[in-house]
Amino acid sequence: MFEPEREVTGEMDTERKATVLHGVIDKMRAGGTDIQTAEWVEFVEAQNDGYRTGPAAGAKVPEFALPDQTGRLRPLHDLMGPNGLLLVFSRSADW
Amino acid sequence: MGKLQGHGINAAAITYDSREVLSNFGEAYKIGYPLLSDAGSKVIREFGIFNTNVPADHKMMYGIPWPGDYLIGPDGVVRDKWFLPSYEHRASASAAVLRHFDGERGNSVRIEAGVVTATVALSTDRCFPGQELGLMLDVRLEAGWHVYGRPLPAQYQAIELRLESALIGEQSLDLPIAHPLLLKALGETLPVYAGEFRAHGKVGIKWSPPMPAKFLEPLGERIEPGRYQIAGTLRFQACSDDICETPQQVTFELPLTVEAGITPAPKKTA
Repeated sequence: MFEPEREVTGEMDTERKATVLHGVIDKMRAGGTDIQTAEWVEFVEAQNDGYRTGPAAGAKVPEFALPDQTGRLRPLHDLMGPNGLLLVFSRSADW
Repeated sequence: MGKLQGHGINAAAITYDSREVLSNFGEAYKIGYPLLSDAGSKVIREFGIFNTNVPADHKMMYGIPWPGDYLIGPDGVVRDKWFLPSYEHRASASAAVLRHFDGERGNSVRIEAGVVTATVALSTDRCFPGQELGLMLDVRLEAGWHVYGRPLPAQYQAIELRLESALIGEQSLDLPIAHPLLLKALGETLPVYAGEFRAHGKVGIKWSPPMPAKFLEPLGERIEPGRYQIAGTLRFQACSDDICETPQQVTFELPLTVEAGITPAPKKTA
């Protein structure tokens, strides 16, 4: 673990974040026609508030092993190329 | 991604999705690199990038990371990372190649203006909305000549590169440190560059969410896929021991193709 999981010390109130993240997704599911610009901006802010970026340049990343799309378990050393690995963290491939 | 492999760099992506979702996505878009399933977000937590803004009762969003990319060396040590302050913007693999491996470039343009020869290059000639591309400036000066750097009194023009396009959100260029030199023609000591030097920078392409137009109306602006010409200006002022030229500006254009953003793969019907 690099940083213990803790409450994000951003600018936005925790309850407000929850309301905004639920509210905009619910509106999108209902067609999204009444999403206002200010709501969208707040939706983006609620996700990024106090964001963290994990291990710094020069630090070692945690060891891990995860299944790939074919079901094969892939430890870090197996993913690594001769000169390195570009490891991309994304939200979802589903939405 | 092909450019990465050419430099011995593999790529892999991690999301909280199930293996089934990733398998479907990988087939639909013919993804040639591992898509790793971190269902339960264990590894996302271990990296310290679990998005704690999302409430635990949010079925869709709970478990996502703050998105970003790491370039990791064979020793497991982070060489560089790209986390952008808004989730809709993403770094591009081509920027990593250009910055760390002097890799092949996208389009470049050569500028010849008197004693200055310069090349401006983007890290790629194709991109998606929301990507952050690499920018590179190579400058060569004739022997005995200098161009000004910063900090500089207002009456002089420091070397400066600016791209001007509605596609571009933010841009930056990190110039090397300019060395102070006593310029006899002026009787002043000013920061200058001589010989050859290189600067790396970043160019953020604006984002449009990959959603139907009705969702986008509140956002106003939309980046359409297509072929664009990115206009740019290089400004500088050249000086020798004897002569100080007037400030110059040279305009150029770099072609860039914006691809349509990728949307989720269509759901498989059983």
